[in-house]
Amino acid sequence: MAPRLEARSITKRFPGVHALDRVSITVEPGEVHALLGENGAGKSTLGKIIGGIYDRDEGEILYDGRPLGAISEPEAGALGIAIVHQEGSLVRQLTIADNVFAGRQPTGLFNRVNEKAMVAKTAELMHQLGVDIDPRRRVGELSSAQAQVVEIAKALSQDVRLLILDEPTAALTLTETDRLFDVIRRLTKAGVSVIYVSHRMAEIFTICDRVSVLKDGRLTGVRRVAETSTDELIRLMVGREVHFARETTSRNAGKVRLKVERLSAKPFVTNASFEVRTGEIVCLAGLVGSGRSETCEALFGARPRDGGAVQVDGKAVNFKGPWDAMAAGIGMVPEDRKDAGLFLSMDIARNISATVLSKVSSAWLVSESSAEALANRFIQDLRIATPSAKRAVGDLSGGNQQKVLLAKWLATEPHILIVDEPTRGVDVGARAEIYRIMRELAAKGMALLVVSSDLPEVLTLADRIVVMADGRTVGEMPGEGATEEAVLRLATQFTSLQTPAVQAGAHP
Amino acid sequence: MSDSVMKTAPSSLPVESPRQTPALLPSRIILKLANSRELMLFVLIVLLAGSMAIFYPNNFPTSYNISAVLLNAAQNGILVTGMMLLMIAGGFDLSVGSTLALAGVWAGVVVGWWGWPAEAGLAVGLVVGALAGLVNGLIVTRLGINALIATLATMTIFRGLTYLTAGTGVTPIGNDFKAYGQSVMFGIQMPFWVMLAVVAVGAWSVARTRYFRQFYFIGGNTRAAKLSGIRVEQLTTVGFILMGVLAGLAGVLGASRLNSAVVSAGIGVELSVITATVLGGASLKGGEGTVIGGVLGVLFIALVQNAMIINGVGIYWQNIIIGLVLLLAVSLDRFKQAHRA
Repeated sequence: MAPRLEARSITKRFPGVHALDRVSITVEPGEVHALLGENGAGKSTLGKIIGGIYDRDEGEILYDGRPLGAISEPEAGALGIAIVHQEGSLVRQLTIADNVFAGRQPTGLFNRVNEKAMVAKTAELMHQLGVDIDPRRRVGELSSAQAQVVEIAKALSQDVRLLILDEPTAALTLTETDRLFDVIRRLTKAGVSVIYVSHRMAEIFTICDRVSVLKDGRLTGVRRVAETSTDELIRLMVGREVHFARETTSRNAGKVRLKVERLSAKPFVTNASFEVRTGEIVCLAGLVGSGRSETCEALFGARPRDGGAVQVDGKAVNFKGPWDAMAAGIGMVPEDRKDAGLFLSMDIARNISATVLSKVSSAWLVSESSAEALANRFIQDLRIATPSAKRAVGDLSGGNQQKVLLAKWLATEPHILIVDEPTRGVDVGARAEIYRIMRELAAKGMALLVVSSDLPEVLTLADRIVVMADGRTVGEMPGEGATEEAVLRLATQFTSLQTPAVQAGAHP
Repeated sequence: MSDSVMKTAPSSLPVESPRQTPALLPSRIILKLANSRELMLFVLIVLLAGSMAIFYPNNFPTSYNISAVLLNAAQNGILVTGMMLLMIAGGFDLSVGSTLALAGVWAGVVVGWWGWPAEAGLAVGLVVGALAGLVNGLIVTRLGINALIATLATMTIFRGLTYLTAGTGVTPIGNDFKAYGQSVMFGIQMPFWVMLAVVAVGAWSVARTRYFRQFYFIGGNTRAAKLSGIRVEQLTTVGFILMGVLAGLAGVLGASRLNSAVVSAGIGVELSVITATVLGGASLKGGEGTVIGGVLGVLFIALVQNAMIINGVGIYWQNIIIGLVLLLAVSLDRFKQAHRA
């Protein structure tokens, strides 16, 4: 039997970059084939070429043994190739059912859209995915996890024979991820092939049969998942071994810098209490939707709080806005760097100066040269890879963007730094760098509060781990000797099926 | 290890974003012009003025004609300064024409009907403008209504208030009052010199001061600006108030120049000002543009209008030409983005 898909010597160039360089993969019927690689390794590009979104420059693709020319996404769909996008392809104003059947609505007499059939079919699909939401609800009302499920339902609404999933779990909770895996197993049993684009090791070992590893647009290896190890795959991804070992030298945590008591910002945060000492890294762990980011925003003055007390250096504070928190020596690196952190069209110097305009000004006037000098200092200190401080931040890689964001806050010389998801969408190399920077800051006496959904990251960084669930802090443990299981047990034990926020109809 | 980080990071930048690069030969020159909207407008203005001077030596380069062009540009030059600031912060104001009329009419009423001194009339006009701006600012920031909708509504409301205040306008207003708009310096009437002062101060402060730099951050990414400690609501309101004051200023100067407060003053002016602002380099998304660019946009439009009148092609063509130039300018931006690899 011919393989479901055989891609031979696929080459794709974008201006200035060889995105894919003679990459070949084969996918068998019923196989889950992982594409693994760092950000920018070309794995999404390959997925998009197979899914008909990009055209290849060179190479050929055989689909069930027949050569496939340049096709569009709908043409690919008609052939049974469906792609689930990393970023939303949904129309927020339309209902779930409308989105799932966009452009291919079942019709009745005079081409009238058969609303009933469409809703019923969508409900069935959503049920298969383990999410029972009324298909007549608008996508705009859904959480990002729910929207991702709709995205998957949309791909499955056609007769699929090759499903391409591009980082499908980025927005999913653990339960939803499990449901997705169930669906994948059911599909593959029926002979459907799946291309699974991801950089999450654990998922690849759970669900995939084989894995192709890409690095800088080249294929560096194909392995059977059963016959490989995380270490080997990381070696193939980066060409070197990376260890995120815990730092064993114990730091002496000093006096209490930040004390949060019974903080409440309904509906997301109901009761959060913890403290952070000088020279200490405290990680807020918990499931997506447990209210960690909202807790940080509330204590930073970016979200109104309706109860509880916050103390900085023993003094009660009540911030009217982030500017007050900044004056009290607090900085916050937000979770979503594109949406809430950076000014992508502006250059590095200007981005870093945003928090410290008075520092780079003499009297009333902004001094471009001192802004640039400040930026150059951070480019050197944080090893930001860029030709100059005048480069637009949007042109940098994810890891370097994250460093610029960090620099923007370090420029304020905070005593307390909140970092929400320090390494989301950051490649392995830059990740190690960011860990190093954060450890150095703590060693210099800064109090760090880190929110992370990445448990290995929490275990690597934390001096203390505070676990949140359903908007409450539910437990605390020292970082030394903590295990993923222990953290997860705490986090899940106290998580009800529906968070209070969801019950209240709010969406993060 | 850090070495390999340096190597891998930059090579992984634009991989996921497809950009097309048509390698055309004249693209370099176009790119240079596209990179600076101010430079492009300046070149266009020089070319247009130069060719007009060559082809119509008796009509165009006369002191009478030039001073008329500059005087005509005065009103929009004042308005464009405020509009550019608002658009840099990602907002804009459709009510400027109505604010202008309302301010002019109130100045006329207090001076012409109630006999207040001329200076009080000017002050009243500016205060009315500031209040109108404050109303806009509060609607946008407190009620969270989009600037387009909010100022579309106040545009109608302010125009209605203008009619309500003085249905037929106020004519004449008074000799002291008209002196402010009609006195002449170096052959050009006062409104031009006021415009020059406004533009000079505006251009300098928007480009250089710490305070106004914050507006670029608001327009660049409102959420990030807020989380960076910038008081977005407060500054946006200030932006609207400044726009209102400038509209008030344009209103009283106009009333003073005509010695008449006209209720229909400034109808349609909002669109020509926004046209000039976009032509001058502002984007509807905010975060970019300079006051100098906006003023060059106003001058360019004034020049095109003047040229059309002189060469007799017909004033009907002027709108078509201005629209085409606007499209050309904005498509240059696309071109620029495509080449930013």
